[in-house]
Parts: sequence; structure tokens; C-alpha cells
Amino acid sequence: MSDWRRIDIDAFDPESGRLTKQDVQPPHASQITLQEITPKISQLRSLASSGDSKSAVALAVSDPPYSGDENTKAEYFKAVLETLTQVRQADIAGVVSGLTSEQQDTLVKYLYKGMSIPEGQKQGGILLAWFERVTQVAGVRPVSHFINDRNTV
Amino acid sequence: MSQSLRPYLTAVRYSLEAALTLTNFSSQEVERHNRPEIEVPNTSAELLLQPMHIARSETEQVLIEPSVNSVRISLMVKQADEIEQILVHKFTIFLEQRAEAFHILRRVPIKGYSISFLITNKHTESMKTGKLVDFIIEFMEEVDKEISEMKLFLNARARFVANEYLGEFVY
Repeated sequence: MSDWRRIDIDAFDPESGRLTKQDVQPPHASQITLQEITPKISQLRSLASSGDSKSAVALAVSDPPYSGDENTKAEYFKAVLETLTQVRQADIAGVVSGLTSEQQDTLVKYLYKGMSIPEGQKQGGILLAWFERVTQVAGVRPVSHFINDRNTV
Repeated sequence: MSQSLRPYLTAVRYSLEAALTLTNFSSQEVERHNRPEIEVPNTSAELLLQPMHIARSETEQVLIEPSVNSVRISLMVKQADEIEQILVHKFTIFLEQRAEAFHILRRVPIKGYSISFLITNKHTESMKTGKLVDFIIEFMEEVDKEISEMKLFLNARARFVANEYLGEFVY
């Protein structure tokens, strides 16, 4: 106890109000697993390959696996990225304007996630085209929602 | 402006507009200190917001890290070959040594990036936020142009010098 002056006594106070990364994560009732999300992924793939881009994207960005672990999120993201890259450039504007504002927020989350990992960076041009369309429709709103939302995809 | 550059800059502009909502915030750790929360080792997770990656390709990216009273913006400038690597390094070092003149420039870029900016609430209080965003966007536009211009000039000069020197040996 020679350096007792340096002990951080605030850390021992349960009401000090310091929050860790886990504390700010919103609580989830149950954790979603890879098995539970697999049917949705295959449904996404079949919709995307059948050329119905509008409903494929709408399905991809509704009810994302927020509560899943990293592996589940990565698998789901792969399917979302595939769906996004398969949409033709000319159709993007129509697809985006058909989404609800919550779906637009989720889409922006996936775009930022895509640009942060090497697989998505290879498709940077396509993701940026999506991003531009979203901001044309919804302005800065989905971006500021993204910054403040602790639910990650 | 080229076709793929425009969406890239638009994305950066919107992200910066969303991130540059800063407030004065005293340190929770040290009394009577007021420091950029993004720069200090932090025990309060609620002060840091989601970082934003914007990538045009694997070699051309922007990372925007927002926090309650500061935003850190890091650029990765495109470096196609060794000459461009040297030029980018020299160019950014030149700017960083004069960081006071730019107010928002960070003296050292964060790891993996070519150049970093740090905007705090002091800057947004004394300068127009819109103009700060414009400055970053203009910098991104200009830096590519500048580097490719320097590369052309360097190659032309090298060719001329080589002609002059090696011309001596032609009989």
C-alpha cells in the first residue's frame, strides 16, 4: 500500500456513473443465433437472384440481428452486401424512396459498416452511390441517427 | 469532377455535418480540465459516438470519429506507387510542421492514415461550421490534384536531368 495516494477511489464507487462499452449497449431480451438468421439469409439470396431488388433490400434492412454475436452479424452482413451490389445503379433511387425512415437508418448503418471492412471497401463505389441516394431522400437525418445509435449491425 | 469523386465527397460532407454538433464539456476525470474526449484514454463510453468509415477504395478512405466535444477526421490519401508515397509523406509533413497556421490540423496523423484533423468545440464556437466542412472537402479535392501535379513535374524534371547528364556519353 505504498502508493495509496494513487488509488482511483472513484472506480470503487458503484454510483460513480462511469460507463463501459457494455453499459451503453441497449439490453436485448434474447440473443439471436446464426441458426435463427440462416432462413432469412437464404430468403434474401433467393429474392436478390430473382431480380426483385425492391423487396430484397427492404427485407435486408428490416429487423437486423442487433443482438447477435460478431459471427452472426458478419454472416448476415455478407448477404446484405451481396443484395446491395446486385441492384442496378438506375434502380437505387426507386428502392431507397420506397423504404420507411427506420429502414433508411438501418441501410445507412450497413453502408458505414461496409466501408469499414475490406470486403465492402472493394465495392466502395457502389456503397457510395447508395449513400448518395439515401442522403438525397432523407438528408442528414439517418447519419445523425447512426452516430447516436448504440445498436450496431 | 470525376463521376466517383462526387458521391465520396457528398458522403464526407453529410457525415461531417452530422458529427459537428459539439458542446463544451469539462473532463469527468480531472478537475478543471477541458480536453478533447476523443484524444484521451477514456473510462466513460457514453462520451464517444459511433466512428464513421467512408471508403472510395481500399487506398482512399476517411475515418471520422465523433465525441461529445471533439471530432477527429483522418484522411488516407491515394498512393498508387512509391513516388506518390514519398510525395504524400513530404507534403503532409510540410503541413503538419505548420499546424498552428491551420488551427484544426493534428500534428501527427493517427496510425494507418496520411493526415488527421482535430475539431473541438472551441473551433466550432469561433468559426462557422459550414466553412469548416467546406475546408475539409476542398482539402480532399486539392490534395489529389496537388500530388498528381507534383508527380508529373517530378517526372518531367527527372527526364530532363537524365537527358542532360547522359547526353555527355553519346558519341
